[in-house]
Amino acid sequence: MNYYLRRTVRIPLTILAVATFTFGLIRLLPGGPFTQLRIQLIRQGVPAEQVNARIEALQNIRPDAPLWQQYLDYLIGVAQLDLGRSISLNAPVIEILARALPWTVFLVVTSTVLMFVIGVLIGAIQAYKEGSRFDKVASGSSIFLMAVPYYIFAVLFLFFLSFQLNLFPTGNAVERGIEASLSAEYFLSVLHHAALPIIAFTIGGVGSTALNMRGNGIQVLGEEYVEVARLRGLPDSRIATKYVAKNAILPMYTGLLLLIGFRLGGTVVLEQIFSYPGLGYYLISAVNANDYPLMMGCFLVITVTLVIAVYIADLTYGLIDPRISAGDSDGY
Amino acid sequence: MATNTDTNTSPTDDTASKRVVDDPILEIEDTNVTYSEGDTYVLEDVNVTIDRHEVLGIVGESGSGKSMFASALLDAVPDPGLLTGKIHYNRKDGSTVDILQMSDEELRQFRWEEISMVFQGAMSSFNPTMKVGSHFKETLRTHDKNVSEGMEFARELLENLYLEPERVLDSYPHELSGGMQQRALIALSMVLDPEVLVMDEPTAALDLLMQRSILQLLDNLQSEYDLTIIFITHDLPLVASLADRMAIIYAFQFAEIGPRDEIIGNSAHPYTRELLNSTPNLDAPLEDMQPIEGEGPAPVNVPSGCRYHPRCQLATEKCRTDDPPFSPVDGGGGHRSACHYREEAREEIPLNFGKTAEDFDQQLVSDPTDGPNAGSTATLETTSDTPLLSLDDVEVHFGEEQSLIERFTQDPTVVRAVDGISLDIEEQDLVCLLGESGCGKTTLGKTMIGLQKPTGGSIEYRGHDIWEAKAGNTDIPYKEVRSALQIIHQDPGSALNPNRRIADILTEPLRHTHPNIGRAERRDRMHSLLERVGMTPAGDFLERYPHQLSGGEKQRVALARALLMDPDAILADEAISAVDVSLRIGIMDLMLELQAEFDTSFLFISHDLSNARYFAEHGDGRIAVMYLGEIVEIGSAERLIHDPRHPYTEVLRWATPNLDLDAMDAEDPPIREIDVPDPVDPPSGCRFHTRCPVAREACREEQPKLAELDDGDGAAACFREDPNHAYWNSEPLDGAAENPEGLEQH
Repeated sequence: MNYYLRRTVRIPLTILAVATFTFGLIRLLPGGPFTQLRIQLIRQGVPAEQVNARIEALQNIRPDAPLWQQYLDYLIGVAQLDLGRSISLNAPVIEILARALPWTVFLVVTSTVLMFVIGVLIGAIQAYKEGSRFDKVASGSSIFLMAVPYYIFAVLFLFFLSFQLNLFPTGNAVERGIEASLSAEYFLSVLHHAALPIIAFTIGGVGSTALNMRGNGIQVLGEEYVEVARLRGLPDSRIATKYVAKNAILPMYTGLLLLIGFRLGGTVVLEQIFSYPGLGYYLISAVNANDYPLMMGCFLVITVTLVIAVYIADLTYGLIDPRISAGDSDGY
Repeated sequence: MATNTDTNTSPTDDTASKRVVDDPILEIEDTNVTYSEGDTYVLEDVNVTIDRHEVLGIVGESGSGKSMFASALLDAVPDPGLLTGKIHYNRKDGSTVDILQMSDEELRQFRWEEISMVFQGAMSSFNPTMKVGSHFKETLRTHDKNVSEGMEFARELLENLYLEPERVLDSYPHELSGGMQQRALIALSMVLDPEVLVMDEPTAALDLLMQRSILQLLDNLQSEYDLTIIFITHDLPLVASLADRMAIIYAFQFAEIGPRDEIIGNSAHPYTRELLNSTPNLDAPLEDMQPIEGEGPAPVNVPSGCRYHPRCQLATEKCRTDDPPFSPVDGGGGHRSACHYREEAREEIPLNFGKTAEDFDQQLVSDPTDGPNAGSTATLETTSDTPLLSLDDVEVHFGEEQSLIERFTQDPTVVRAVDGISLDIEEQDLVCLLGESGCGKTTLGKTMIGLQKPTGGSIEYRGHDIWEAKAGNTDIPYKEVRSALQIIHQDPGSALNPNRRIADILTEPLRHTHPNIGRAERRDRMHSLLERVGMTPAGDFLERYPHQLSGGEKQRVALARALLMDPDAILADEAISAVDVSLRIGIMDLMLELQAEFDTSFLFISHDLSNARYFAEHGDGRIAVMYLGEIVEIGSAERLIHDPRHPYTEVLRWATPNLDLDAMDAEDPPIREIDVPDPVDPPSGCRFHTRCPVAREACREEQPKLAELDDGDGAAACFREDPNHAYWNSEPLDGAAENPEGLEQH
């Protein structure tokens, strides 16, 4: 139990560190966001005496207050989920993020799980048939898939399947005019729009997962306990699932949830290509529009999601691998 | 094809002859295992018969093909090995099958139900993510057995192996100690009540006391469940106490087979005889223990003629060209040997333990001044008053990691690895730390050479506190202390950087000790040292990488590296247990010679009393027996072996296999519990009281102090040393002997 407690206590501490980092980063940026903001506001014709007040409203920060005061204000704002107001979209940052985040999470989680499942299956077959023709072809393809960045696939899909063949839409998460509801029409539309981004994002990761699984699988197949299990006459199906698969996937499991967090950042390019209204899409537009509050918000959300993913990974790892819950991990 | 008739050839062999009847369970004919399309033999031309209900001990060095033989019996040779020949298995009902002709399904049923196997590494034989109990259940289910009846039998087995069935079955493998895992694995291999148990080095990873206890339990299991046991090991004396018959494998062939007493007492193969002579034991005079020169051949490079001829002192031209037949010795009796010169071997190679312990005792009695006192006075003369290393009430406690919250809610769990030890090490001294795994001997060793910071007490090097020196608070530079105290690790393979040549590895320490010498002189020094540690031609070895050396050679390099630092003390942490048995004595001799030459002290850590004895007796040193973080007895090797004062020392003495045929058939272990208590929560009073055969109520309450012996050298921590102690009037604990005097006759 102490293991879980220890991990839980670490969460708020990590988030605090991340928020501090975001705050510091913004202050340290060359030129500084406030200079930028001030210039912008003055250009918009805001009277000079009102500029500080406007900045305060936008950023939750009083630019003339001492640093510690600004820091505290910012933290209190974050704790109250008040991340300021977006300059370019003129809406509360938290609202924009709340709208965008589900789409991104949907993309990332679906594609990562797909990638993991497909990769593990291919890798497991490769490990069992080590040295066969299938193994060689699959290894070659995996290396090819690892070498080509996912956005190349994205662009190719978009060009051929959407623009040339008109099979898929070229933007948005759902058909215009369809209300969010539990209807089949809505779900089909969502899937139709998400299909290409998900496939493109999945293909890029399958290669490394398969190679990883192949390596682990071959190692586990060489373990003595697999040999003993065979001698004990256990059916091959049981050995494949309980002995080989479980022990081979285990070390990849933490990697999987880490990957989900990591791939959140990868959506920036993906969503831009498919004009998919997720977190990455807004992050790019925020950067382009010098919209610092929105940028900070996106940054914070992505890191917090990463922290939570790692946390879930650590917690559930203990349930899957008995050696972890004891608090010592001499096995791995 | 030899038939194995009654093996009753020796009058002392009556237990064996009762068991061995003319009823073979396995007949192995012309069996080979080949690799690379028949070019490389890893098991060649095996013709052996195994009798029902016998214990056959098979001994061979590492890489001699003995594990291949084990796998062949289950037709489970690892790919791409090819197994050919005939292995007939005679069922109880009289029908016979050839294992190599079985279909996959027949084989699946045959394995574990008829012939079962126990592997060396118990940790790696269990699925780490599955509970031990599930292993039993799935095995029963797969073989269509009644699971609840089977589990009942499993519990019975576990209980017979001194385990708590419920606890073990409900644990994950990593939650059990090594000895417990190994016993659980034995139970798992017996859960389908097989006829034959093939054991491939089942105890090699355990310490000696656990090995012997397991062997004892095996002996009981064998008679209770009518098992046939094939016990494969590199450790000849270990299996000798259990086996009815023994076989020696050398370079992928059987070199000799026969009844145990014949093999031990009257063997007819030079390899067996030299192997017996090279085995450290407690009975033989030290000067007669001789290592075998050279090492066993690799499968791609097997010598022509007799395979042993390159290492054999009797080899002639005939041995180089003609392969000796594996034929009966002395006209039968089941003793067969593959040697042209059996009679010569018996005459030319006398067995050293034949000179019984009596000569040895006489020698001890007639020349008492040559004992430990002579040694200690000698060292006292050469040194000033300050010892080289001085430990004062040293404690090393490992606290388990705790979070902020736990610090308020729970008591810290502390492992007392070393608990209050005071010990002085003189210049050119030699101390062996002896004890079971988990008793803190490695921690104490590391503390002694300043690698582990003690949590209490102090450790001084020539009067300067090592940790003060590290902090820069003394006038002696820490660098000097650091280079004066060196270590040789257990596994030389992982102690040498695999990416550097031997020359580079040895240059490093020379740069520290002699920064001003040139390249040529460095090379000269390395050259002469390598030659000194027996690695010739040195120039050739200097250019090699560690993986191109054998285990023994690697350990020599590690030793040379330590010596180049010009140390005052070297810690050798189980430094010879990774080396093949036949080479151990060679390495130990080398260490002892170099100790005198290089003027160093040695701290030698071992779990094996016979190794410690060899070391301590040759080097005029002391043996310190450790138990759960404390030294319970210390003294010269002679005194410890012939007159042990602490019951734990006696237990270790029992655990040390000897080759004396009369005393060989082992009695029950003189301990009440096989497993070491948890060091987090050591027993109150005398820590040994939970296992001590003579413990009484007094031991439970009061902790005995390490006290100098009145009538012998050294010290012991036991109430039985004090004739007036309350111990003698208190009640014996549950299971302990009523009359402790009986133990002393032991």
